Amino acid sequence: MHGSAGGAGAVLTRLDPQPRERIDRSAELTFSYRGKPVTAFDGDTIGSALYASGVRVFSRSFKYHRRRGLLCCSGACPNCMMTVDGVPNVRVCAEPARAGAVVHPQNVLGSIDRDLLSIVDRIGRPFTPVGFYYRTMIRPRRLWPTYERFLRNVAGLGRIDRHGVRTTRYDTEHRRVDVLVVGGGASGLRAAREAAAGGERVLLVDENPCAAPADGFDVVAPARALGIYEGGLVPVAAGTLLLRVRARRIVIATGAVEQPLVFPGNDLVGVMLPDGARRLVEDFALAPGDRAVVLAADDRALAVADVLRRAGVDVVASIDLRTDEPAKIEAAGRRGRLHGVTIDGAHHDCDLLVAAGTPQPAYSLLAQAGARVEYDTSRGVFCPTDLPPGIEAAGRVTGALGEVAPTRASHGGGFVCICEDVATKDLERALAEGFDSIELAKRYTTVTMGPCQGRLCHLSSIRLYARLQGAAEAAIGTTTARPPWAPVELGLLAGRSHEPAKRTALHARHEQAGAEIVWTGAWKRAHSYGDAAAEVRAVHEAAGVIDVSTLGKLLVTGPDAAAFLERLYPNRFADLKPGRVRYGVLSTDAGRIMDDGTVARLGEEQYYVTTTSTGSDSVHGWFEWWNASWGMDVEVVNLTGAVAAVNVAGPNARDLLAQATSADVSREALPYLAAREATVADVPCLILRIGFVGELGYELHFASPHAEHLWDTLVGLGATPFGLEAQRILRLEKQHIIVGQDTDSESNVLDAQMPWIVKFDKDDFVGKWALEHARARGPRELLVGFEMLDGVVPPEGSQVVRGGRPGGRVTSARWSERLERGIGLAWVPPEHAREDAELEIRVDGRLEHARVRLQPFYDPDGSQLRT
Amino acid sequence: MSELAFISPGAAPLVSPLARTLAGAAGIGDLSLLGKLEVRNADPGVLPDGASLIRISPERVLVLCPEGERAALKDVLPGFVVDLTAALAGIRVEGEPLLRRLTDLDLDRLPAAGKVAGVPALVTRDGERFDIFFAQEYGASVVELVRDVQEGLA
Amino acid sequence: MSFLLPCPHCGPRDVNEFDYAGEVTTRPTGTPDVRELAGYVYFRRNVAGVQREWWHHRFGCDAWFLAERDTRTNEVLCTEVPAARARS
Repeated sequence: MHGSAGGAGAVLTRLDPQPRERIDRSAELTFSYRGKPVTAFDGDTIGSALYASGVRVFSRSFKYHRRRGLLCCSGACPNCMMTVDGVPNVRVCAEPARAGAVVHPQNVLGSIDRDLLSIVDRIGRPFTPVGFYYRTMIRPRRLWPTYERFLRNVAGLGRIDRHGVRTTRYDTEHRRVDVLVVGGGASGLRAAREAAAGGERVLLVDENPCAAPADGFDVVAPARALGIYEGGLVPVAAGTLLLRVRARRIVIATGAVEQPLVFPGNDLVGVMLPDGARRLVEDFALAPGDRAVVLAADDRALAVADVLRRAGVDVVASIDLRTDEPAKIEAAGRRGRLHGVTIDGAHHDCDLLVAAGTPQPAYSLLAQAGARVEYDTSRGVFCPTDLPPGIEAAGRVTGALGEVAPTRASHGGGFVCICEDVATKDLERALAEGFDSIELAKRYTTVTMGPCQGRLCHLSSIRLYARLQGAAEAAIGTTTARPPWAPVELGLLAGRSHEPAKRTALHARHEQAGAEIVWTGAWKRAHSYGDAAAEVRAVHEAAGVIDVSTLGKLLVTGPDAAAFLERLYPNRFADLKPGRVRYGVLSTDAGRIMDDGTVARLGEEQYYVTTTSTGSDSVHGWFEWWNASWGMDVEVVNLTGAVAAVNVAGPNARDLLAQATSADVSREALPYLAAREATVADVPCLILRIGFVGELGYELHFASPHAEHLWDTLVGLGATPFGLEAQRILRLEKQHIIVGQDTDSESNVLDAQMPWIVKFDKDDFVGKWALEHARARGPRELLVGFEMLDGVVPPEGSQVVRGGRPGGRVTSARWSERLERGIGLAWVPPEHAREDAELEIRVDGRLEHARVRLQPFYDPDGSQLRT
Repeated sequence: MSELAFISPGAAPLVSPLARTLAGAAGIGDLSLLGKLEVRNADPGVLPDGASLIRISPERVLVLCPEGERAALKDVLPGFVVDLTAALAGIRVEGEPLLRRLTDLDLDRLPAAGKVAGVPALVTRDGERFDIFFAQEYGASVVELVRDVQEGLA
Repeated sequence: MSFLLPCPHCGPRDVNEFDYAGEVTTRPTGTPDVRELAGYVYFRRNVAGVQREWWHHRFGCDAWFLAERDTRTNEVLCTEVPAARARS
């Protein structure tokens, strides 16, 4: 029935058709393993097909490179991890076989049969006790990269293919249900049916493909619930789809996990968990061995002896640990393959040892949800208790395991954690070194931290620690259960990466003009159209047009509108006449600058407020939050997207505008700081005559669907598009600040050299007290303009130096072609804030010379603006 | 007191904020140029045929109407009325599976205001047909995400 | 953080639809000295227990409202829309 004991390539005949087998014997497929073809049936897993083809050694262990074979056949342990189609760490015992798959072992140097790194196991053990990396490979420090490379090559799981190109699409979907059932075994199905019969919307998920038909409820399988979060949120990993499930009730029916016994030789190939052996027979019609010994502690597991006998396996001994528990078990093998076991002196030759202790309820999700966990001394396992509202447990996870009894913590040594190669000796050593709590032991030895995430070793480690310390398991306790409950790909958690971007109604025009598009907060804006210096020249000499649709725009209207703005701003706005606009700076109650913009009065009870591009939402919120307390009779409407805006600026701006409108835009009709509604190019506009960029300028505000038409008209009349970079240079020539660039969270409007903004005679406004204190205290630093004496332009953030000590920082700096100098703004100590004061600025390690200029560099008296 | 003519789309040539981004897209209707009027502090009362409403909060209602009827309707609606036609873009799509990948809103409790495609939005439903309104500056971003999700479902 | 916050208008929603706007504070009346002003601007009670705080339903109805939440469990005991404004 079998090939020879050592054989790879010796094909195993399948058993007679089993009643519940998953294979379709009429459909064959082929995949490759180590470059050679392997035949499988449809319904096989890669693991079962490999087993059928004679493979017994499936992997080499993490640290010691010991041979490992099938143990659980359910995707819980690490023993069958291989690389499939370039994807590392695939548990082939659960991975469906598919045609054309390319499968290779991983973490071996040489071949799986002759792994050169197994030298670590044979002679390296004295050098690699538990926690060896906390004591060795530390000095000399410069060798760490070498140590790291060595360790990465010697230990670890699969290797990521850095040069391959493989894209997997992961999607995220939201589900809302009344009841989520985790676990599709008998109890889970029963709970789902009952809830569905009661009219509830039910979703059931299970780690394995679910064979049961769905009666009135949805099933997603295979799918793993990753954790339970606040508000009944359960992320479920279903292949490449992440389901974010919100459930009003969650039923956990995750069953109990068979626990490997701890004894010398317990990791040999041929030692299996009862359900693992059962699956090979019942699901895949494969005999797990010729001669078997069965050791188990519950009826279900002991019944595997019958399953084996029916499959033709010679079961030479079957021991019920509840009644006949041995003190010592020792399995022996050759080249990692089991050939016999000695139980309290009695020897049995065998190639299959089915061994498990009392199954441990899989309570992790319940613990994550807030349930407590208690050790049941009569059963020898931890059981969940005190479930929080909305969380239920059903089936074996509650501790209803039938008749069970505690088994010994260890039967003479062996591996406690086969994922991380942690043996009983390692736990003894950790305890001797002082790591006496289970949380410390976990972190020191890495027990439970491997792929099984404690499913197969958490209980054993606690019971061993209890025995070593002579303490009760309840006193040792459990380690904290955290998500994800099963390993999950980062890509699945990331989903589709998409950052919502805001674009103006002129975005297409910028792209068509070849603009370099940049992010400003959430907005996409035109940085320049290729030559920022030329754009600056156009504004100074003729006329330019810039898209300023990103500005925040708020309508503030109502009987209390004037009083509202008076309370919010340090400025005075109550006396602003309809048809006029004024620059304003918002402050917090700490006196700090929050945002700046313009306020135009459109009517007795109507104001139109602009904010910075990145501040629109926060200023809108600021206004609404204050009014939630004040309850004033005012409505605030956010028009940021409704209204597009462009700024036409330059000596020719008026003539240009006059060609697009029949309204009177003469200097008398539309003076500096006027706000007028007029139709321009058939588009109703609000025209604000303001001057951020220092030339004669008009800011047109209009409904955004008209943007392209208006832009085309203005450009057609000769306006040169200019972008953010040109705007930055122009405004810097006028020493106009940009909030957030030239100011930070500590800056106040007095230190920013705009004392005229603050009307201290007002009764109360946000920031008044703080600004009064600031005025009394005097400034710690002041914002000043400076010009460079050499041709250098210091980078933003450059340090100002005075007398060899740090004395300020540069916030903005640019080369001005018009002024033929490097210019900028900087915060400096007050004693240096004098016209002509000399500064040194550190650039590239050298000290460059600059001079303070307190007046705008360009058009200091503003005659250009007011023309 | 200004009539705020400059915030309403007028007679001059109009471009929907979604016009370009929807070129070549299947299964996404453009509702951006529908008339949209926000009414505050009053009940809009009986609306003419073709108009509908989405309630945002006890004090705020969004009234939707065909573009041609916007001006007339604005004059008759009670309370504080502001024209948000230009502020909001809108799309029409079909199918719960699509929506379940765009939002975690309870699709049985629509209309609602919530997060759709990563942005604040208003959603209504008529059978399997969903209308989604959101700030027009997010237009290209939302359509990009909807098309991506459609691709994932295909 | 994924608890459900009950918006007074929209009902229970994922907390990430909202902006948290801090503990409710009492703005000084009169003219506070530096100490009182610093207390108001910088210090918060930060209780481990029921806290009265501001929330903004940023992704939904845009309302600003108050909530009483147990900061230890994120259980929201009640919400409140600030008193209606004076309207003419």
